Amino acid sequence: MPFTAKSGKFNASINTVEIGSGDKAVKIGGENVLPLYSFDAPIENAPKVGIEITDFGMDNEPDCVKKYYEGCESIADIAKKAASFEGVDFLCFRMEGGDPNGANKSTEELIGALKEVAAAVDLPIVAAGCKNAEKDAELLSKAAEALDGRNAMLLAAKEENYKTVGAAAGLAYKQIVGAESAVDINLAKQLNVLIGQLGVNSKSIVMNVGTAAAGYGFEYVVSTMDRIKAAALSQNDANLQMPIVTPVASETWSVKEAMASEADVPEWGDQEARGIDMEVETAMAVIASGSNAVILKHPTSIATITNLVKELV
Amino acid sequence: MAKFVTIGERLSTTAPAVNRAFTSRDPEPILKRAKEQLDAGAVYLDVNIGPAESDGEDLMKWAVQLLQSEFDNVPLALDTSNTKAIEAGISVYNRSKGKPIVNSADAAGRIENIDLAAANDAIVIALCNGEGIAKDNDERMGYCQLLLERGLEHGMEAEDLWFDPLFLVVKGMQDKQMDILECIKMFSDMGLNSTGGLSNNSNGMPKHIRPIMDSAMVAMAMMQGLTSAIVNPCDLRLMETIKSCDVFKNNTLYADSYLEI
Repeated sequence: MPFTAKSGKFNASINTVEIGSGDKAVKIGGENVLPLYSFDAPIENAPKVGIEITDFGMDNEPDCVKKYYEGCESIADIAKKAASFEGVDFLCFRMEGGDPNGANKSTEELIGALKEVAAAVDLPIVAAGCKNAEKDAELLSKAAEALDGRNAMLLAAKEENYKTVGAAAGLAYKQIVGAESAVDINLAKQLNVLIGQLGVNSKSIVMNVGTAAAGYGFEYVVSTMDRIKAAALSQNDANLQMPIVTPVASETWSVKEAMASEADVPEWGDQEARGIDMEVETAMAVIASGSNAVILKHPTSIATITNLVKELV
Repeated sequence: MAKFVTIGERLSTTAPAVNRAFTSRDPEPILKRAKEQLDAGAVYLDVNIGPAESDGEDLMKWAVQLLQSEFDNVPLALDTSNTKAIEAGISVYNRSKGKPIVNSADAAGRIENIDLAAANDAIVIALCNGEGIAKDNDERMGYCQLLLERGLEHGMEAEDLWFDPLFLVVKGMQDKQMDILECIKMFSDMGLNSTGGLSNNSNGMPKHIRPIMDSAMVAMAMMQGLTSAIVNPCDLRLMETIKSCDVFKNNTLYADSYLEI
């Protein structure tokens, strides 16, 4: 009997979400096949790659990242430079300094910096908070207002602050709401339900289902993403059909494999190569598990992932 | 596994208000009952127009178009002994939300409804019954084979035949209940879909008892592999039980709000 290949495409699909406005807007999601299964059906939108900068500018960055931003004097300069690297689809501004347990910068100061960044580039903007739920409620609400008209993505609404963030970002300013859960499939679904019950259009929600650097409990990340895509596609679960966005850089550039200097661990070799490896490996693994967008930091990582995706999709 | 498919039973000429509305082509009571069932979580709606011998074709077309235009092409089960009326209904049916269900065929006088479903790419409820109630599961499974082969011969996919074991009333046939449940398991072991008028089991019981019996029956039947049932979706206890069983069966991913979605 001749072998007849059967397409593994599903009758359900991941929502398509557009981020940004104008010529530079990008679309993520839309596929009706498992991640990268372009042999089953065309993948509507290839995974996208964003670049992350923070309100600390280059102060806390490793030397191997700093060197790419030489000559940048202001946050606007940094944003422009970041937007110019090969393969960058969108720009993520992380307001790390807002953390009350860290620099505790004021909301006004951070929103001021966000406005400078937004004015400097025409790429789609992602505004990320400081990871403190209470501060982020305020910070992201103000960010939604400051980015009015940019169709920006806000990262992220969590179980503790989804009402405030969801209402400001999703309802008042019609931005894209990121729903963040920490490697917990049930909570990932529940948050989407709750944000939907606020009245936010499900097509304006993306998920950050949590991540870790490869090697750091990463199998939980993979199984979470696998299970979510399976439920979204094979069970047609509308509460899990939101595209997944995964901030990778903030995880991989803080582990010892990326941080330890060559002087401390000569047997590990060049520090920059290690940092890039960690970022590329983690990013490609989450894309293969279902992430529709990743957020990275090193220009070489970004170019590598962009080219890899181009070859695969 | 896919989620359990509920077929709302409340659009039936056995209800005098519905019968009057069908006869006089009055949309309002029909739409009201349809909306109640959909709001309560029904997937399909059964449209039982009775024998409708004189104007069945016209009536079924009217009902299908009325319901699908008002409720975003809601999928329907077309329920009448008038086969021309079923065909007429299918001729105007929009299948974007699911194939029409022919309700129903059996292994006796209504076996040709299998052919009708096959010719129209529809799902058919295949009642494993001949003349009178089957005496045991050997007889039921014989009918099941007969109906399945008839469907396959006419080019149907096995998944489009939904086998009905015929739920029996507890008051009078209490000793047959486990046979029905075992029959469902046999369907399931063959990989077949199944459905049926589940609330038959509680016929004649006090009103406040029926949701309890129906919920227990649906849980046991889902354990055996039942994939669908014709139910009253406005029975909250029953619907909550179905949603909970869907979680246990891993048909849907649990979330704290699972009863609300």
